[in-house]
Parts: sequence; structure tokens; C-alpha cells
Amino acid sequence: MALLKEAYQALEDVVGPDNISEDPAILDSYAYQWLAELINPDGGHFMTRPEAVALPGCTEEVQGIVKVCNKYKIKCKAFGTGWGAWAAPYDKDVVLLDLRRMDRILEIDVDNMYAVVEPYVIGATLQAEAMKVGLNTHMIGAGASAAIIAGVAAFSGAGADSISMGHGSENGLAMEWVLPNGDILQVGSLGSGCGWFCGEGPGPSAKGLVRGALGACGGMGVITKCAVKLYPWPGPATMPIEGKVPAYNSPLPENLRAHTLAFPTWQAFADACYKIYDSGIGYIAHRQFNKWGEALQGAVLKIVSDPTKQLDDLEEMLQRPEIQKLTEEMRHSFQIVLAGMTHRDIDYQEKVMRQILAETGGWEIEALADPEMEKWVLLYLIKLPFKNLNFAMATYEGSFAHSGTPDFEISYIEASRALKRKYIGKGVLADDGGEAMMAAIARQGGGGVLALEQFFFYDPQDINSVLGAQAYLAEAGKVAGEMKLGPGLSGQLLGSKPKDKLQQMLSSVAQPSVFHYQRKIKEAFNPNDIGDGSYVYLEEPSKK
Amino acid sequence: MAIEDYRSTMERCSRCSYCKWIPFAHVKSWRFAKGCPSIEYNKFHAYSAGGRLAVALSLLDGRFDYSDSDSLLDIFYKCQMCGLCDISDKICRYTMEPLEALREIRFKLIEDGQLLPQHMPVIDNLRKEDNMMMKSKTERGKWADGLDVKDVTQESAEVVFHAGCRFSYDEELWKIPRTAVTLLKNAGVDVGIMGKDENCCGVRAYNMGYRGEFTKYAENNIEAWTTAGVKTVVTSCADGYYAFKRLYPQLGSKFKVFHTVEFINRLIKEGKIKFTKNVPITVTYHDPCHLGRQGEPYIPWTGEEKKIRNQIVVREPRKPRYNGLNGVYEPPREMLKSIPGLELVEMERIREYAWCCGAGGGVQEAYPEFSLWTATERIEEAKATGAQAVVTACGWCERNFIDAINESGQKMKVYDILELVQQAL
Repeated sequence: MALLKEAYQALEDVVGPDNISEDPAILDSYAYQWLAELINPDGGHFMTRPEAVALPGCTEEVQGIVKVCNKYKIKCKAFGTGWGAWAAPYDKDVVLLDLRRMDRILEIDVDNMYAVVEPYVIGATLQAEAMKVGLNTHMIGAGASAAIIAGVAAFSGAGADSISMGHGSENGLAMEWVLPNGDILQVGSLGSGCGWFCGEGPGPSAKGLVRGALGACGGMGVITKCAVKLYPWPGPATMPIEGKVPAYNSPLPENLRAHTLAFPTWQAFADACYKIYDSGIGYIAHRQFNKWGEALQGAVLKIVSDPTKQLDDLEEMLQRPEIQKLTEEMRHSFQIVLAGMTHRDIDYQEKVMRQILAETGGWEIEALADPEMEKWVLLYLIKLPFKNLNFAMATYEGSFAHSGTPDFEISYIEASRALKRKYIGKGVLADDGGEAMMAAIARQGGGGVLALEQFFFYDPQDINSVLGAQAYLAEAGKVAGEMKLGPGLSGQLLGSKPKDKLQQMLSSVAQPSVFHYQRKIKEAFNPNDIGDGSYVYLEEPSKK
Repeated sequence: MAIEDYRSTMERCSRCSYCKWIPFAHVKSWRFAKGCPSIEYNKFHAYSAGGRLAVALSLLDGRFDYSDSDSLLDIFYKCQMCGLCDISDKICRYTMEPLEALREIRFKLIEDGQLLPQHMPVIDNLRKEDNMMMKSKTERGKWADGLDVKDVTQESAEVVFHAGCRFSYDEELWKIPRTAVTLLKNAGVDVGIMGKDENCCGVRAYNMGYRGEFTKYAENNIEAWTTAGVKTVVTSCADGYYAFKRLYPQLGSKFKVFHTVEFINRLIKEGKIKFTKNVPITVTYHDPCHLGRQGEPYIPWTGEEKKIRNQIVVREPRKPRYNGLNGVYEPPREMLKSIPGLELVEMERIREYAWCCGAGGGVQEAYPEFSLWTATERIEEAKATGAQAVVTACGWCERNFIDAINESGQKMKVYDILELVQQAL
């Protein structure tokens, strides 16, 4: 259904003719999305085409659009950078709000260690500005290209640095929220005229309402301004960059060090996590390079860190004895960046790390301790500028994404691996060996929770691979449900389409009442149901 | 290649938006983090490499037709083809080639009669007068009037200096090819020019989608140089350099190709050009897209895709990767640093991730406001370094910077690198 002419005119009156379009070419550029092929039963690459796309430039324009949508009962959905199927319409008759004109860093308060940003500010730009004043920002796992506010309000928000900087939901402070009914709610201290320093008050505490259990995915109004916590950065004001494209690296002072720690077993791996939580060491801790799979990680790592190599070299690299040795060594490993505020501090952290290795039977992987390699790892983990090396081999998605205590987390690795190997055996997924567990060693500030995500790789251009990946994802969601892992992150939700399966999955979690409350929140805040279906909730039992 | 050959590029695009930014490792500030002029000026996602690939896929899939969209030509032509997207994408998607795909889309549009009206006068003039400057062919050699230099159509020379359309017809810039030829001659190089018989290199038409015109001019130039018996082609034009270095070899050209920054830098190092004067100025250097990231030499490759380990796509044999690694970055910097009294300061976006001047891809001809906006952005970046002047090595860049500065009333000076060399002699 095309928009009513008067509704389109009303939207155009809000943003001006240059900032709205219903041209099919413009609209389809927004409908195309990564992972759409895993949602569409026919493997198509386009999500639902929006009815129009608007580019609001300020809060007032966002509010104006939302009011028009309420008046004409049109659904609307906003996004920051718009990466992934979640950013496209889940329903028909949706007006998309591309927030890229709202891209300012409004304030960096050095004394109180926070920044106020608009929706199109990304991790890379906020980090660059924060580092100039000795601060740093939490970078969500999606990397430098992801919008800061999306990490706070729309998605999960865990990242490599969560061990010291926390989860996205922990980092949101005061916010300006255009509610789905068009009202503006100032969340936290902003609501009582006290500035941006706190998300919980004085003023209304509504952070949980903003993001819900899993992130609102743009389906619950629009956060137009948000303050986020900043953290100490004990490095240079601008990270020096060396190396040749595409394998840049960063030589950093001695108080910043990167190590790859390996362990003989998963249990030793988990034990090391506990010891790291207890000791309080670590600026960044992530199981990063294992994402390319247990059989390929050594070769791909060497390829992407060497400017002269490329993917076409993979088969040859896999034959090299030193690569095979590295791959084997990396089997139960993760990276840790230690950042010392003083020389004594870094020496202490190094000492503790060595002690943890001794107590768990672990070791540091020598090939990655090479100074040139360390410079590359430091850049990778601190700025997350190469995060899309996730795609170096093929298109990927996560499955079995879950977080919990390390002992619990390692308990489902083998089951997850076995299921994935079944589909590798069918030839539909890339043969990475089976286990490709990306892991945030701590999902929350100070540690205590390990987050795993089993990557799998497929070719979006190959319909057999796509349909096979769909089948894998659906079965992974079912198995995860049976294991009481809950809906987890994106993979399970994508696998739970259509909506009846989503309802089934949300009902099966340990505490389904969460998603009943989300329905009640939606009813209260979104009375005209203008939000897109990406905001998930459990329907009333009588309406099932 | 045909448009269908790029379907895999379209369908494998992860829509991550890396194409919109400079490589994230190099982001030093909020202000100069953006990499793609087209998306920054035009805002809608369709005006990015990823967006364009999606629109092209939609067309291929028949989701809409040419007649359904009023924006289609704008989407595909409002882009300088600067290639920043290609660099940023390849950092993580090693096998992505968005620039080649975007070029192929333009070829397809022209084949289908989807012509941009603003380009037609320029293309018509090219077909009639063999230049991209809307001028008469008879005026082509005027830039060299009074220069005592061989005409290679009349007498033999080892090296031919190709002035290119911009330097041949933009009188304000004539000093640059004249300086180039004089420097070469005085250093003992056996150099000549084609004078009024010089032709367009064809690359600007190529980037507008007119592949046939490009091929015609490439073949004519190769034949003319062969007839003249030259061994080496030197040019001060970055567009021409890209054509001769990267594209002409695909049509059988075997000539050695140098940009003047390469050739003259070598002469400086060999002591054949010596500086005697101080040039007390602080400058910043702008890397032209076609000399920098797109200035990599052509490497022949024939092969095909295959899958290994079920679903990993590789090319056999190994395919050369154009990712800006081997562009011409050092020679101009070495030249500038060798000039006594001159201080070189760098902008935030340089080398393979430089911001474009705005003049390429048919944008200067069709969308002058967008073109000048892009140049103004670069001037702002140059000013932020504290430099007194921005230096470049391409006539198209220089013209666009001069026009942008005149339009905005700014005070930054613009030089071709050879002008500073001349001042130091």
C-alpha cells in the first residue's frame, strides 16, 4: 500500500522535499540487507520495501514525523547506521527514518567522563575525539562502524572491552527519547534539569523501557540524544598507525600490551576467565580470531595481518606446518589487552597474567607475541577497525549466542559444534572445522559473565548454501531453546521467523514474563501500534 | 565483463557501510572521518557504493524498471568514482570490487540509452573535437607555443609528454605542462610532444560510462605513439596516468608510463635537477585519486572463481588485488621535502584514503555544485593543517580547488608540485 498523498505531504512538510523519498530505487537501497536471505524463505536479498524514507535533521523533525505517523496510523522505524536485517522494515507499510543527518557529538564532559551524542555518531568517531582528552568509549562487538546509540538502546551491546567498560546497557546515561506516541521523554537526570550525568535519576528512570530485554531494534520510538559513559585511556591522544593497506598496525607505548593466551582444555579456559574476573586485570579481553573456525583460524589470521596475502592464498597457507601448529595452539585461546595507568600497574597486571597461566596450565602463543603482530592485534582490539574481517572468508552470522558463567558457557560448545558439523557435512556451510566461538571474555564491567557466539559461514549468492544456512539457524534456535539458552542474540531471533515461531521461542525462555511486560510497555507507550515488528513481545494468551 | 558478472559482488555485499568512511584505523577526528563525497552530499543510502550495488541488484532482479524511478541516473552518476569505497571495503572484504561494479553499471546504462543529459554536450564535443573541454581541436597545441620542443609527429624522441585535455586548454594552468617540458629538456631528456595532434586519453568518458569512446581514443593514442617511435609516456595529468598505466595495457600498450612526479623526482635524486633557492612555505599535499589509490600498475590476470571448503570463494590463479598499496605516494612527498625551505604537513585523509577533489567521474561536468562542495571540504581539511597552500599533481584537482576557493572566498593558495620545483631552481 503506497502512502496516502496527504500523509506523504505531511511528512515532507516536516523534513523538506530534499529529505524524503518514495522513489523505488532509493527505497530498495534500504530494503537490501545483510541476512535478509536468511529471513526470506526464498533466500531473497531484500527485506520489505519501506513506503518512504525520511532523513530528519533534529529532534523536532523526528517528533514531527512520529506525530504524522500516529495521525495516519503509519508504522515507522528509525536506525542509525542501518546495518543488518534488523534495520529494515519487518512489516509492510513502514516509513523508515534514516538518522544520518543527526551525527553530532554534542559534548564531551572530561571531568564527569561522559559524551552526549546523536544517533549517527559511530564508535570510530567518538573514540577518536575521546582519546584526544585521555578517554575512551565502549565499542560494541559490531565494531567501529556501529552507532553508539544503537549499542545502548537497540541491540545487545557487548564488546571486546566490556571487561573494563561494560555492556551497552550499562553505558547509557541520560537520554532524549521521542516516544512512539510523539511525546518527548527526558530520561534520567536530564528529566529533572540536572544535565546528562545519570540514566536513573534524578528524573525518570526508563532505560529498561527504552531497550527492553534484547534491544528495541528501532521499534520503540527514537532516541535522539544520549549520554554515554567514557573511560580512562592511558594511551596517546591519537593512535599512531603504521603498516601497509590493508594490514595497518599501531605501535603503542609499553603500558599497552596485547597477549594471546592459550589453554589445554575448555575447563582451563573457563578457570582462567574466573581468575581474570577475580584479579581485576584487563582492559580488553576477547576471543577474537577463533571466529574463523578451529580449522582455519591460524591461516586466516596470517592472511589478514600480512598486506601481501589474500584469501586466494588460503589453501596454500593451510598446508604450511607453522600455520598448522598455530591453528592447533589457538584451539582454546583468547586475546587480552592490558593497559597500565602507570608502569607499576602494567608490570603488576603482567605478573598476574603470568600467574594465571601458571595456575591453569596455559601459555602465551609465541607467534602472536611477535612485536609486529602485537602492534596489529593492539590496533584490532582497541579500535575494532577491521571488525568486518568477520566476512573475510564468506558471509557470516552468529548462532548459539548466549552469556553466562564460564562453566555453563563451555558446557554447550560441543553440542553446538556437533550441530554445525552436521551442516558442514551437507556442504552448505563453509568447513571451518565446526567450532568458531567468538567470545567476549566478560560481557559486563568487572567480568563474571562470559558471552559466546558460534559463527557460521555461507555464500549468500548460492541458494543451496542460503537454504542450508536457514535450516541450520532454525535447528540451532530449536536446540538452544531445548537447552534453555533463551532467545539470545540475533541468530535465534532470525531463525524464529515467522511470528508464531518467535512466540514459541519467547515462551520457552527461563523467564517469559519479561516478554509479557514488554507487551504491556508497548501498549502503554505505543498505543497506535506505529512501531515496527522488530520490537519483540509475547502476545496475550487469549490472542494467541 | 558484463553487469551480470557483478551480481555476486552485489549479492555478497554485507551493507556494512565501510564504503562511506575512511578506513577506521585512520580515523583521527569526527570532522574528517567520512570518506565518500557522494553519500555525504546526497545523504540517502543509495548514494553510497553499497546502496548503488543494492539498486543495481534490484534492477537486475526486475523489482523496478528504469521508467519507475526519477532518481536512478542521479544515483549512478552523482559519484566521482574516486574509489575510496573500494579501498575501505577491501580492508575487510578482500575480494570486493565495488568500483569496477559501479563502472560496469554506467556502461550498462549507456548501452541501454540511459544517458545523463548534462554529459551529452561534453561527449558530443569529444566525438567532434577530441577533447573534454568543449573546445576546438585546432586550439589543442597552443599551450606549447614558443617552447622549443620536438613534435614527435615530425621527428623522433625517446619520450612523449602528454599534456592532456585540462592542461592543453586551461590557460591559467599552461605554466604546468610548460614547466614539465622545460624541466625534462634541461635535464637532458629526449622529449617531444604531439602538439595539436594530441588526443584525449579517453578516461573521463570511460568513467562516465562511454566505454566505446575510451577504446577508440586508447587505440588511436597507442597507434600514434607507436608510429612516432616513442618508448616512454610522461604526463602531468593524473587521469591520463591512470589511463596509460592501468587501462591501456589491457588493450596491448607496452609503453613505459610515468607521471611527472615520478620522472622528475628521479631526476632530482640523480642530481640532474638542482635547487638553488629557498621556498619558505608550509604546504600540504593532496593525493589525486588516479595517481594514488587508482594509480597502481595493471597486472594481467585470467582465471575464475572456485569454492574451497564448501563455501569459501577464491580465485584461481590468485587474482591481483588493487587496494591502493602500490599507488604513487612517495615521489611527490620526496620532491616536496627536497625543496629548500619548504615544510610539508599532512592532512588527516591521505594516500590511499585521501578525500577526493570532486572533479572526477563526470561530476564536474554534470553537478558543479556537488563538485565544488567536495573540493571545499578538502580545502577545509587543508586549512586545518595550518598550511599556506595545498599542492597537487593533477590539473583537474587544481582547477577544482581554485574554483572552490574563488567561490567561497577563502585564502588558501593552490599549486601544482612543478610550480614549487620551478620556484626553487
